[in-house]
Amino acid sequence: MSHIHIDVENVSFGYEKEKEILSQISFHAAESDSIGLIGANGVGKSTLLKLLVGLHTDFEGSIRIADIPVQKSTLPQIRSKIGYVFQDSDSQLFMNTVYEDIAFAPRNYGLPESEVERRVEQALRLTGIEYLKDEQIYKMSGGEKKLVSIATILSMTPDIILMDEPSIALDPRNRRNLIHILNSFTHLKIIASHDLDLILDTCERTILMADGRIIRDGFTKEILTDKELLEKNGLELPFCLQKR
Amino acid sequence: MSKIGDAIYEIHSMDALAARDQWVNRIHPLVKFILTVGYIVAVVSFQKYDVIGLAGMVIYPIAVFILSELSLKDSIKRLRVVLPIICFVGLLNPFFDKNMVLFAGAEISAGILSMITLILKGTFSVLASYLLIATTSVDKLCYAFRMLHIPGAVVTQFMLTYRYITVLLEEVNRMTQAYTLRAPGQKGIHFKVWGSLTGLLLLRSMDRANNVYESMLLRGYRGDYQYMRERIAVRPQDMMYLLFWMGVLVLFRLYPVMWIVGNLAGGMFT
Amino acid sequence: MHMADALVAPAVAGTLYVCSTAAAAFSVKQVRLDTDTKKVPVMGVMGAFVFAAQMINFTIPGTGSSGHLCGGMLLSALLGPYAGFLTMIGVLLIQCLLFADGGLLALGCNVWNMAFYGCFIGALWIWKPMMKNGMSKAKIIAASIIGCVVTLQLGAFSVTLETLASGITELPFAAFAAVMQPIHLAIGFTEGLITAAVLVFIYEARPELLFCSSQIERKEGRFSFKNTLVILAAAAVLIGGLLSLAASSYPDGLEWSIERLTGSTELEAAGGIYETADSIQEFTSLLPDYAFKNSESASGTVFSGIVGGLIVVAVCIGACYLFKFFRKNKAV
Repeated sequence: MSHIHIDVENVSFGYEKEKEILSQISFHAAESDSIGLIGANGVGKSTLLKLLVGLHTDFEGSIRIADIPVQKSTLPQIRSKIGYVFQDSDSQLFMNTVYEDIAFAPRNYGLPESEVERRVEQALRLTGIEYLKDEQIYKMSGGEKKLVSIATILSMTPDIILMDEPSIALDPRNRRNLIHILNSFTHLKIIASHDLDLILDTCERTILMADGRIIRDGFTKEILTDKELLEKNGLELPFCLQKR
Repeated sequence: MSKIGDAIYEIHSMDALAARDQWVNRIHPLVKFILTVGYIVAVVSFQKYDVIGLAGMVIYPIAVFILSELSLKDSIKRLRVVLPIICFVGLLNPFFDKNMVLFAGAEISAGILSMITLILKGTFSVLASYLLIATTSVDKLCYAFRMLHIPGAVVTQFMLTYRYITVLLEEVNRMTQAYTLRAPGQKGIHFKVWGSLTGLLLLRSMDRANNVYESMLLRGYRGDYQYMRERIAVRPQDMMYLLFWMGVLVLFRLYPVMWIVGNLAGGMFT
Repeated sequence: MHMADALVAPAVAGTLYVCSTAAAAFSVKQVRLDTDTKKVPVMGVMGAFVFAAQMINFTIPGTGSSGHLCGGMLLSALLGPYAGFLTMIGVLLIQCLLFADGGLLALGCNVWNMAFYGCFIGALWIWKPMMKNGMSKAKIIAASIIGCVVTLQLGAFSVTLETLASGITELPFAAFAAVMQPIHLAIGFTEGLITAAVLVFIYEARPELLFCSSQIERKEGRFSFKNTLVILAAAAVLIGGLLSLAASSYPDGLEWSIERLTGSTELEAAGGIYETADSIQEFTSLLPDYAFKNSESASGTVFSGIVGGLIVVAVCIGACYLFKFFRKNKAV
């Protein structure tokens, strides 16, 4: 538990046999890393995140989370360490009220109800949405749903957080709030996004993907300012660096 | 399509009502569920000419409406689904059942009596269900279902259906709006796109189900989930509420209390 | 086709509750929800899908009217009979609770009439045998239409029987059936067409989603023919037994309609039953003359009833307000 890290070695994967979505992916992530995963549509960012939590286990190569290999038998152990925030909040939030949804994971891990309540309160506080505690989920705005989604995984007290397009459908204020929350979380996090400004604000390290491969892995400041590199791979400079 | 809007609104308003902090809302969901079913059974079991006895059953809805501070007006709207069918069946009774009976000093057809009881039965049972769902959230009902030993997986499935009804209704709303915008003057969906419109919705629902499943797995789901463990206890006042109403309902079911009281009152004056 | 609470007698409702619960318990066992954890979210979301799809107006070509989906057959063609059945129960429960469509007491009947036939008969007796030797567009269309028509006819017939057995309507059996069956023939045919259109679309897009799409016989379905037959037979015995019981305790119910059916004149039949009903009334009621009798006191009876009613209601309202008053004071 003390030493959290992710090791991905030579991982290849495809939903159908002929078509590889990921090929020869290798990277290492350490305990305090914050990694932005960028790339054009359909380069396999989401698929890579799903492999890390074992939603597909029939890949080639090896993935280890804190030295535990990702395979069918270790999934419960691995998933208890990782919080995964889906792109679509409505799929992530399947219970009817905020409290019940945030309590889902701690209850599944068999915690006593008093501890569940403490976890829920804590997750609500960390995301600054105490006022939503007993609200019905379908009544909430996209921004509120996203914050609740994050709270549902914080209640698991994960060591690693994975996020798929967290800033999509957020208004500027909610987005700012999200960045603030992400920066307050000091553990290992990997954020897949097209929102390069968000990556610039929250991640020190960036992995650039194209066609199922890792093109570049380095400091965010270097990659996101390299106009030529970004444009070659279907991206553009972050808005804050674009001159008009 | 306003029908969809209505349905979404209905769910929203029911949730808002059930979420109010009223005395009746706090009563144990299982108690309210048992009472509601018991009440409906009692109402429906009245003999078909027993108008006066059946009329006595009005006390339960009256009392709960007052105690829960619900608006009678809103609940009447819900009768619109059920009453037409009942009236269709009931209105024919006077024509087929032509036995004459003396009622209130006048000879009337027995069919009219049976029609009145039928309409009363329909109204009372709908009101009782309304009083249940307007004071009890679906989550709490699910808790009651678990207490009745309905398998957890089935209850989870029911909850998920309830959760995603609004999501999918809104999706259907968007789809049909997009359709009507490009097909002005059409009332419904043209048969050429019956399959693709509904089919696409179905495929998206399947994908969504898959995402939901993944989300559940990632949060430790292994097929059994305990709802609100140790959260709703049956309090003494819940038991009292149940016993009180059971007593009252049995009394009103077995004896024509209204008639007896009326007679006593009449006896006092004469 | 949703039956309201008022249209069923408790005995009939209870009987069908027992049948529907048995079918549900059987389905839970067959679906193996505990091991196949993915079924739960799929069933849940598909229930919501059916609910939403029911709201779509499908224009029927050439008529100007619109048809709707009920969903039993569609669900079972996707999820199989058992999962489809459980999903439909969820949909019907929500309809009755939140939209007053159907009723808590009549839920057993509604589940039987709409979900059981659509899922068990539709999937096991129509869909599965037809898809046994591979699927094709034509087979899917045929199975959808036949399935919807047959299951809706069965459902409509059950509604007729249940209403009559409940002794709710004075409508003769033949007349009732003559109204119900043709209407539901048209409804069933339309629904069949919609179901066919959707299933053909799925067949072309993602055929693996359809029930029986794999050639390999799944274990759960192996003895399904026999199973349904056993359930049906058990249900028939149960319904028959309980109905005869009900008929003896509710003389105004089944017997009446049966005597109507056998053609005895209305007055005679009614007279005979009326006397039995009356004697039972006299036996059970403390005040035998309160209901109605051709006596002079009849108007007085009604008068006492109304006065008593007013007093009881007034006392009830007063008590409620007193109760609330004291509760509030206690809280303060």
